Amino acid sequence: MADFLGSIAQGVEKGDDKQVVELAGKALESGAAARDILEKGLVPGIQALGQRFKDGTAYLPEILVSCRAMNRGVEVLKPHLGDADIGNKGTVIVGTVEGDMHDIGKNLVKLMLESNGFRVEDLGADVVPDVFVNAVRDGQADIVALSALLTMTMVEMPNVIGALKEAGLRDKVKILIGGAPITRQFADEIGAEGFAEDCASAVDEAARLMAL
Amino acid sequence: MDKSKAPMPNRERFLAICRGERPGDVSVIDWLHRCWAETVDAWIEQGAPPEIKDQNSMNRYFQFDHLHGLHEIVSEHNRSDLKEIASAQTMGYYHITPPIVPVYEIKVLREDERHRVETTFGGSTVEISKEHPWRMPRFLDRPVKDWATWKEYKKRLDPDTPARWPRDWNAFTARINSTDAPVMLLLEGYFGVLREWTGMESLLYMFYDEPKLVEDMMDQVLHLSMGIARRVVQDLRIDCVRFWEDMAYKTGPLISPEMFRKFMLPRYKQITDFLRSNGIDVLHVDSDGNVDELIPLWLEVGVNFPWPLEVAAGMDGVALRKKYGKDLILGGNIDKRAIIKGKEATREEVMSKVPYLLETGGYFPCLDHVVPPDVPLENFRYYLNLLREIGGQEKLPE
Repeated sequence: MADFLGSIAQGVEKGDDKQVVELAGKALESGAAARDILEKGLVPGIQALGQRFKDGTAYLPEILVSCRAMNRGVEVLKPHLGDADIGNKGTVIVGTVEGDMHDIGKNLVKLMLESNGFRVEDLGADVVPDVFVNAVRDGQADIVALSALLTMTMVEMPNVIGALKEAGLRDKVKILIGGAPITRQFADEIGAEGFAEDCASAVDEAARLMAL
Repeated sequence: MDKSKAPMPNRERFLAICRGERPGDVSVIDWLHRCWAETVDAWIEQGAPPEIKDQNSMNRYFQFDHLHGLHEIVSEHNRSDLKEIASAQTMGYYHITPPIVPVYEIKVLREDERHRVETTFGGSTVEISKEHPWRMPRFLDRPVKDWATWKEYKKRLDPDTPARWPRDWNAFTARINSTDAPVMLLLEGYFGVLREWTGMESLLYMFYDEPKLVEDMMDQVLHLSMGIARRVVQDLRIDCVRFWEDMAYKTGPLISPEMFRKFMLPRYKQITDFLRSNGIDVLHVDSDGNVDELIPLWLEVGVNFPWPLEVAAGMDGVALRKKYGKDLILGGNIDKRAIIKGKEATREEVMSKVPYLLETGGYFPCLDHVVPPDVPLENFRYYLNLLREIGGQEKLPE
């Protein structure tokens, strides 16, 4: 059992989805609990890769293939897991703000959050403040994650926060922001609780905001 | 007069600055101050003459030094013939058409109140904001997905296709060779254009899933570049070559240095060896983001002029100068956010680095990317006048 879990973690870390799927299946056949395979195999693997990314020894291709391996492993386990076991760290609404069509960074953040146990609702790109407001009102969001690539669109971020205040929903969620021109100082200026430099630190920030 | 600032022909001056032989000389180059189309529109609303939509008029208005990018040859993604605006060097969305001949037909697939989905000259499908049509669109589909689609696409990347070249080559070469402006050949790098063909996520997966396909695409870029460079160096005087990459983001490169070394470096070396053996040793690379880890790799193959050195991505021109000395020609690194903020922030930003970089030589002052529309005309003129003051030049005419 321990061998399986260690190999699954290694498979996730090096992005070998075939190995992960095969070993997750074998671990289930050997009687291991799906939740253990998730928490002691898949999760340590993606966490190790996230740490390497933060240390500068892994890059975006490695993130992508590791997340793919993680997600394929989760698919194998899903029939044996309860709803509470998957995506139970919190719910994050993600979207690129109005006027900005860029979605690569936002998509990477989504991928990393999902691979690390968050539920994600993706509102897409060029999202007007009302759409964020409606999603918060109608859903179970804990965090609203806003992305912008341009100096001329980052100024839309405070508009989203303002719209949430106006709708009386600001206290219901935490705001996490990121993107090329975004800094911690800007986050502080506009009253966003979280700021992420990249997709790996977005996971850390989301966990911090959820007090995990 | 200070010898390092004595007048000389523009081409010689450009190369002398690159070699670090004119410390203190301020050359404000048009190519390095390209603007988004929205920026030009905003400036005209703020009082600039409408003629600045034309690059020559803009150069006169801002007293830019002209650097001529060879748009006339379809050799990289920058296609002046495809732009719907008059200015040759102003950036619009169609700027990013890869160097394919022939291009694809544009077709509108669907639209609603805010967005339009259409195919592009480059063969992609994009969603465009109707309110901001010149901004980068959202890519919904890309032309190269696998070996089969690549084999078809590759047919459009032949260096010998006549339509790639000016019709009257002799007249063209005579005109370019007699120009006073430095001349820059525009070539693709080995990452950026593949991303345009495949999409970023797909390309990053391909490095793991289909490395041979990645290499074949890079080989075609090399074949195209070598074919173009061979003909160009025979007949044209070229002062520098620009590689377009855009292969970094806020915290570092999009692929590891190891991947760069394995996939890109050998191909870079072939083209840069050829260029250097033909006397071209100013090799410029355009990549946004934090390129600190890439600079030593580029230097290893002789690519020595990175731009734009984005401050928001942690790039520090002063630190680069101290680390690499005159091995690096520097361009950019003036934080556009400071120019947006106002005169005080502009002065603080410019004075914190420009005098040092100018005095140590081999520096072309410019913003740390294309000029965005939220830079007010008044602030931009203040910034230019500040550079002129540092260089001992007269203020811009009102």
